[in-house]
Amino acid sequence: MGETVKTTPKLLPAGKSGIRRFLNADRVAVLAVVVAYAVVAILVYTGSATRQLMNMLISVSCYIVLALSLNLVVGLLGELSLGHAGFMSVGLFSGCTMAVLLHDTLPVILCLPLSMIVGGLAAALVGLLVGLPALRLRGDYLAIVTLACGEIIKNVITNLDIDGTPLRGALGIDTSSIRMSPTELLPYAIVLVLVTMLVIMNFKRSKHGRAIMAIRDNRIAAEATGVNVTYYKLMVFVLASLFAGMAGVLYGYSLPTTEASLFDYNMSIEILVIVVLGGMGNLGGSIIAAIILRVLPEALRDFSDYRMLAYSILLIGIMLLSENKRFKSWKSQVSLGSLWNKVRAKFRKKTPAVATADAVAEEPNHTDSPKGGDGQ
Amino acid sequence: MKKFLSCALALVMMLGCLSILSGCGKKEEWVVDENGLTELMIGGIGPLTGDYANYGLSVRNGAQIAVDEINAANPSGVDGFKLVLDFQDSQGKSDAATSAFGKLMDDGMKVSLGATLSGETEAVVAAGDSDGILMLTPSGSAVSAISGSKQAFRVCFSDPAQGKASADYIAQYGLATKVAVFYGSDNNYCVGLYETFAAECQVKGIEIVEVQTFTSSTSTDFSAQINKIAASGADLVFLPIYAAEAATFLTQAGDKLDGMKLFGCDGLDGILTKIDDTSRVDGLLMLTPFAADSTKANVQSFVAKYQEKYGTTPDQFAADAYDAVYTIVAAMKKAGITADNKDDFNKRLVAAMTEITVEGLTGTMTWTADGEPTKNAMAMEYQGGKAVLFDPTK
Amino acid sequence: MIQLVETLISGLTLGSIYALIALGYTMVYGIAKMLNFAHGDIIMIGAYAVIVSVATLRLPAVVAILISVAVCTLLGVTIEFLAYRPLRQSPPLTVLITAIGVSYLLQNVALLIFGSEQKSTPRMFQIPDLKLGAVTISGVALLTLGVTAVIMIALTLFINKTRMGKAMRAVSEDKEAAELMGISVNKTITVTFAIGSALAAVASIFFGATYVYIKPTTGSMPGIKAFTAAVFGGIGSVPGAMLGGILLGVLEQLSKTYISTLWSDAIVFGVLVLVLVVKPSGLLGKTVREKV
Repeated sequence: MGETVKTTPKLLPAGKSGIRRFLNADRVAVLAVVVAYAVVAILVYTGSATRQLMNMLISVSCYIVLALSLNLVVGLLGELSLGHAGFMSVGLFSGCTMAVLLHDTLPVILCLPLSMIVGGLAAALVGLLVGLPALRLRGDYLAIVTLACGEIIKNVITNLDIDGTPLRGALGIDTSSIRMSPTELLPYAIVLVLVTMLVIMNFKRSKHGRAIMAIRDNRIAAEATGVNVTYYKLMVFVLASLFAGMAGVLYGYSLPTTEASLFDYNMSIEILVIVVLGGMGNLGGSIIAAIILRVLPEALRDFSDYRMLAYSILLIGIMLLSENKRFKSWKSQVSLGSLWNKVRAKFRKKTPAVATADAVAEEPNHTDSPKGGDGQ
Repeated sequence: MKKFLSCALALVMMLGCLSILSGCGKKEEWVVDENGLTELMIGGIGPLTGDYANYGLSVRNGAQIAVDEINAANPSGVDGFKLVLDFQDSQGKSDAATSAFGKLMDDGMKVSLGATLSGETEAVVAAGDSDGILMLTPSGSAVSAISGSKQAFRVCFSDPAQGKASADYIAQYGLATKVAVFYGSDNNYCVGLYETFAAECQVKGIEIVEVQTFTSSTSTDFSAQINKIAASGADLVFLPIYAAEAATFLTQAGDKLDGMKLFGCDGLDGILTKIDDTSRVDGLLMLTPFAADSTKANVQSFVAKYQEKYGTTPDQFAADAYDAVYTIVAAMKKAGITADNKDDFNKRLVAAMTEITVEGLTGTMTWTADGEPTKNAMAMEYQGGKAVLFDPTK
Repeated sequence: MIQLVETLISGLTLGSIYALIALGYTMVYGIAKMLNFAHGDIIMIGAYAVIVSVATLRLPAVVAILISVAVCTLLGVTIEFLAYRPLRQSPPLTVLITAIGVSYLLQNVALLIFGSEQKSTPRMFQIPDLKLGAVTISGVALLTLGVTAVIMIALTLFINKTRMGKAMRAVSEDKEAAELMGISVNKTITVTFAIGSALAAVASIFFGATYVYIKPTTGSMPGIKAFTAAVFGGIGSVPGAMLGGILLGVLEQLSKTYISTLWSDAIVFGVLVLVLVVKPSGLLGKTVREKV
């Protein structure tokens, strides 16, 4: 997708019309999500959605939030994290414990957001702890530390069996009293996804986001220009785990019980696959990839025994194809993007193509590598 | 601008996904096949891929044999019904299990076999409670797995029932006074059994002298645990674990645990196929409602059919699933449901569940209103590569 | 005392298996700069190859071992050629995801071919246990230790003394420069995958001999442990992988024996995190000096 970047000037043209200024890519992504959720909501509440779709809504929404938040670490900061599921489970187990204890006294409209905040903060605290080694480590070493932290979290939660709380150790957390059906949870899921999108998108284009991307691209240069590397690295870990924790609470609400052993490195890898497939640092891409990768195994159900085989072949195929030069050049010729550029070039000869300032961030050539920031 | 397009693409794809998922129409009505038989769709869910695939596949295979058997025995249908089994993969995950349940409901499932593992069964039971459909899980053994719905029943024992029964059995026949336990601390089957076993031991005055555990990520090397147990001076080692781990445990133990009795529950069934040196299993006691080596005629015929069709020996999961299908048929007969008289199908079927008695592979079963089965467990002992009925008086 | 010796020996055995697998990870990483997440699943295929040749084809143990090594080597080279070679110029994460895809593929192919139930591995070595006073050492453990030691010495010699080994070191230092010096990078990478996969086959034989049964997902756990061991020792460093693997195994067994089996995962990974925080490039990893 890097082809358009070469042709777009990095500076904002002075004479941008109002509607074009409003319709920057992020807002379009938010709009697209709003529209999509509106369609889903209409289908669900008019009863025309299938049960399969309804039962998938919450888990897909959770994965969208997880992918968006992991994209902060992997795409924005350029560090490989293999422990994202661990943060999610911290949020789930702390937030849902509180929710179970409070659900008799508080109405759900207060209880759920409150437990989401508590779960998010608990996960953020753990994220801060995990982020500390990240100050000294990079690349695969950091990846293995995040993986190790995820396994430690899993081990600790598996051994948490406290009377008077819903925590039952290996038997998982008993959330049957607060479980809500997909139709009841959908509004909360929509709000969570939109809040996550808005916060992360604004964070990315804020001065903090730029500083973080500067660290990713060249840490030493960023440090030399006065960027506080320690502070920003921790900030990314805290923010990413905050949202992962909130997604965890939502996930916990959708099931009557959840076991800690579910949140192992395989799940972290699953989220990482979404982020990489969607494009590093590309938030819209993360959303699309989360939907595709969650829906794909469901759509492949008719393959029965060959379902996961087909899934793995598709995954390899997508990766090989996305890196195939011939396919890339073919795609750039026929893609909507080039068509759009041609059409626009005809009508708007005077104004150069519009680029929002953060299009720089989407330049994939250097964002794809977690070790891109090593400063050779 | 690239982003604009990718977002537009996102929208298109989302709508595409929706059309995939909402495109297939809902089948609420009964389907009648070309022979005039009404299709009774039984839906099962379980892990067919991933780490727990063996359990899901056992359940599917066992249920399939029962379905084929019943259809073959009744060419003109069971009261006008033909049984159809649709079994969906859950990978052992609760969220995938609920989507699978949704798909089965979309496709016109009439009776649900719940799900295979306890956690996913609980999720499926919660998701299906409002549908009023009968959910009969062959193997979801945690108490909470079926407690969420009045329409949920199970074929297997609940975990605490087994843990308690084991302690009672040991106390009743004076098998041991000092016991060591070895179990998987991150597996709810093992933990459920262990906790009630420990509680009942206290009641019966059996002393637990050593408790050793493992997790799924450390389930390859048990030598540290074996050494501890060997040094504990226990008379008996209680193994509330599955056959694969037990095979590893017994192989690695070698002769270190000689002189100690070994005692396990239904999870151990099938251990002979997982261990190369079957002499290691000699003397292992197992409290189980099903043993593939049993001499009962129905068990032998089932085992033979299973081996012919799938090339392996069936385990308790397969037997429970087989019994579940027969139970459904028994409940339909009891409720007087026929292809021509099937109004209030769900309600009548669920009501019949507490009134039936089923002679199955896993014993003679009746059900309580809580969905728990009442049946007897037998103690089996492995001798010379075979499980035989254990005689405690010897 | 007896307990300590027995624990150390079982730790060394477990560690040797981790080390053999970790060598495959670290060599591939050092030379191709990629994390081959499918490496663990090659072990699983190797173990199935042994089962098929001994239990089904009734071949003698030595032949079975050779078949297993051959199957794994061929598989490793084929995967490299089909899936990784087209991605040589791609960003590392793309290759990583492809490797994960290959791992899923191998697991699901094995599931379809061999079925899901655990298959017991045949007894291939009948070695009596060694009794030294009160300490019992199992024969398989001794064999594992011996063979691992021989392999490690041979591998060290190969890398340091032969032309191919020199080529490997050159490629891992600087791919372009090596190519300019007339070294075929593709050939070197192929050889690396072949050696790594052959070592995985050896590991699979000992793994099967010690740990009794195999199922399609068997490879992922030792795979991830070995990956951890490789990073622990300093990824890309061959002696580091050996040290990391053995330390990880010993640490795991010690914490199980002396602290708690309930917390052993947390303890092992906790120590790992601490060591990496103190030594950020692993035990024997090269500290890369940052240039401005």
